[in-house]
Amino acid sequence: MTPELDRRNFLKLVGVTAIVASCGGASTASPAPSTGGTAKATGRISIYSALNESTNNQLFAAFTQATGVQVDVLPLAAAGELQTRITAEKASPKADIFVGGSSEFHDPLGKQGLLEPYKSPKASALKAEFKEASGNWTGWYTGIFGMVTNSGEMTKAGLKAPTSWDDLLDAKWKGNLVLPDPVKTGGGYIFIATQIFRFNRDEAKAMDYMKKLHTNIRAYIGTSPAAIGEVSGAKAAGAPNWAHDILTEKAKNPAVDLSVPSDTGFEVGAVSIVKGTKNLAGAQAFVDWVLTPEAGALNVKLSNRGSTLEGVASAPGAPTLAQVKLVNYDRQWATDNKDRILKLWQQAVGIQ
Amino acid sequence: MRSLRREPALLLALLAVIVLVLLFVVYPQVQVGVAPGFSGYLSFLEGGTWRIPLQNSLKVTALSTTTAVLLGFVYAYAMVYSQMRWKAFFNLIGILPLLSPPFVVAASYLLLFGNRGIITYGVFGQSPNPYGITGIWGVQTIAFFPFAYQLIADVLSRSDARMEQAARNLGASPWRVFWTVTLPLSRPGLAAAILTTAIYVLEDFGNPQLLGGLVTVLPTQAYSLISGFGDYTSAAAVCTILLLLALGLYVAKIRLDGGRSFVTISGRASSMPRPPVPAALSWACFVGCLALAGLILLVYGTLLVSALTFAFPYNLRLTIEHFQYVATGSNGDALRNTLFFSAAAAAISAVFALFAGWLVQRGEWPGRRLLDFLLIMPAAIPGIFFGIGYLTAFNQPWLDWVDRSWLIVLALVFWNIPVGYQAAAAGLRQIDRSIEEAATSLGASKLRGFWDVVRPMLGGSLRVGFVTTFVRAVTTLSLVIFLFTPPTTVATIRIYQLVNDLDWGGAAAFTVADISLAIVALVVFAFLARGRLVLGAARA
Repeated sequence: MTPELDRRNFLKLVGVTAIVASCGGASTASPAPSTGGTAKATGRISIYSALNESTNNQLFAAFTQATGVQVDVLPLAAAGELQTRITAEKASPKADIFVGGSSEFHDPLGKQGLLEPYKSPKASALKAEFKEASGNWTGWYTGIFGMVTNSGEMTKAGLKAPTSWDDLLDAKWKGNLVLPDPVKTGGGYIFIATQIFRFNRDEAKAMDYMKKLHTNIRAYIGTSPAAIGEVSGAKAAGAPNWAHDILTEKAKNPAVDLSVPSDTGFEVGAVSIVKGTKNLAGAQAFVDWVLTPEAGALNVKLSNRGSTLEGVASAPGAPTLAQVKLVNYDRQWATDNKDRILKLWQQAVGIQ
Repeated sequence: MRSLRREPALLLALLAVIVLVLLFVVYPQVQVGVAPGFSGYLSFLEGGTWRIPLQNSLKVTALSTTTAVLLGFVYAYAMVYSQMRWKAFFNLIGILPLLSPPFVVAASYLLLFGNRGIITYGVFGQSPNPYGITGIWGVQTIAFFPFAYQLIADVLSRSDARMEQAARNLGASPWRVFWTVTLPLSRPGLAAAILTTAIYVLEDFGNPQLLGGLVTVLPTQAYSLISGFGDYTSAAAVCTILLLLALGLYVAKIRLDGGRSFVTISGRASSMPRPPVPAALSWACFVGCLALAGLILLVYGTLLVSALTFAFPYNLRLTIEHFQYVATGSNGDALRNTLFFSAAAAAISAVFALFAGWLVQRGEWPGRRLLDFLLIMPAAIPGIFFGIGYLTAFNQPWLDWVDRSWLIVLALVFWNIPVGYQAAAAGLRQIDRSIEEAATSLGASKLRGFWDVVRPMLGGSLRVGFVTTFVRAVTTLSLVIFLFTPPTTVATIRIYQLVNDLDWGGAAAFTVADISLAIVALVVFAFLARGRLVLGAARA
């Protein structure tokens, strides 16, 4: 009986669709272009959030309290999925805001014309590297690539926390190191790109480094958090990984330590407004709000990440962009050359 | 063809099935297939990053399919033929590996058998490297043997005991009967099992993602292109390669079948018991199944302990805080959504698959081979692309009034059709047409013949379709990840969030809740269905 039922429902669906389509045309008028910033923000906004679960609830509650705008959040701690989802949804956008994830995930959306440019007055003081020139996305937090180590395993192997990425080539690391897979994870790729920038874009030198490192690596791990899990669970002594996630794990397992080797890479966490938003004023209010020192400080507290605002202090034990020595990381170049570099790397370590 | 002209209702039903398949299988997938565009395919193919994953995919598929089908056959034989005890328990164990939400179960294997694994290191003092082909192979064998087991058991249970009795009476040894009667007669089930298992292994993403190490297969490559780089067009190109491989497997299966007849159920009723297998074989079956059950229970036991301890395995303090978390906020809604979506999808999918299987197997209309392939194809589509296809195709302004739950249920229905369809098709090939013909000569319409005669005899196939769809729907992440909205969040989405938050205890507790819910639901369904499915079950 169910195929019948199925068909009946389907026909019903088609019927109602036809009715709605025929009378819907008249009622949907395109919204008037907003002048930005002036309209009072009210109502609800729908947020696609790549932030951690633990951050979402408190951060958005604070936003609602500050502005009165209600929030529907679609949480998915995977910026690539959200980027793809916004692309696939372009026929009828369901998000007003895309928040979280490195700017690499926002930038292509802007280039495809799927973002609503907005230059927040709060962003004027930000450094140029923290925002997109035409206002497609704005950077509001930073994440630094560091190194997670397990004190017990480090002692056992007679290892010291690395101060430079070159330290990882020490033979003592052999079999004690894991790395997020550069092909499968953004973090693993940032690690390779960091090496290239560290050697002044001398790709041959960088690949030579990766090749030597390969002999020390016990396993390449499919996700970045899982690599931290390997170290935390004493299955490896150390792994390059995101500093903020390492600090989060350290709170649960005191054997976990964080260090930041010099010449490291970083990400700029972005926020953007999705084109086709039904509540532009509310969306702009959100962008303005995450760029306030209060929101920045709250995010630091909840996620251990840094803020792009000068005045916001970092989390206890967390490195800041000012303290660590960064490579000259060219985000655009890293994105554009991804396929080629990964192929070079696969050849270098002999899996191609 | 003649019957189609005589029976407009049958023609209408056939057209409805074709339209539904075109609309909900083909159309969304075309959306994915055309996404890269010609230049996108060209630059991706030239890039060559797909070569190694392709080789790995072929290697892993060949290895895991062989062992999974072998294990599935042994398990099915033990369940159907031997007189071993605890069959109800083993039946449940045979479904359990299907109940593995992404990441968490594979992570549990790592905890047990990794280089610091509780078994490998704790008990045996060994530090094997669990990453690579061997790790994927081992876990996929356990994870996918249930497909083979269910399909083969369904076919074996319908094979005619009289032929085996006759062979035994003529003096053949049990061994010879097995090789010359039982095995050849189970060929449709075996072929279906190999094809289905191979396609599901080919599409598997979770196990290679967690256990692959440097070994990238096509689905993990596609997934990482989206997840790590937001490169949707290259990912869609990978998906097209997967579909072509599935087409190759399908053609191979057709060759394997060779169009022979496997009819074992004819008009006359068979009430003859199966010839007894030697007692020693029954015992061997029991011990083998017990060993497998022990392994599977160990994995799920690890999960349960993880859920009940503070931070397994380095802080073993007992706690219920993870379960308290599962009960907070909107988490209950997620579990409820999972239950409703999965049950609805399973019911629709099982019946639709059975009906479609009958139309394809019994019909003589042109193009049925194509429909046959289209109904198997979804197995080869990684869930993530099935989801993206649905989102691209049906997230339209004029469809915005439709509740998202419908889209999720439809996606679950059509993504999970292959197993139920394969079961029905394999089953139908064992049932003599003369049974239906008897009904139609007595004046029944073909549709009536299907519903009153064929359907009751295919209770087993219906059950396979229902259980597999339900269980896969409960545990799928990739399919819903692009379709869920805040009110339609499901359990696996929450688990994924917790895994990403490094909250292993919470993820384990949520997984335990999800799996328990599914088991309770299956038991209730089995109880409710007892009255109605009795005809199908009686044959088993």
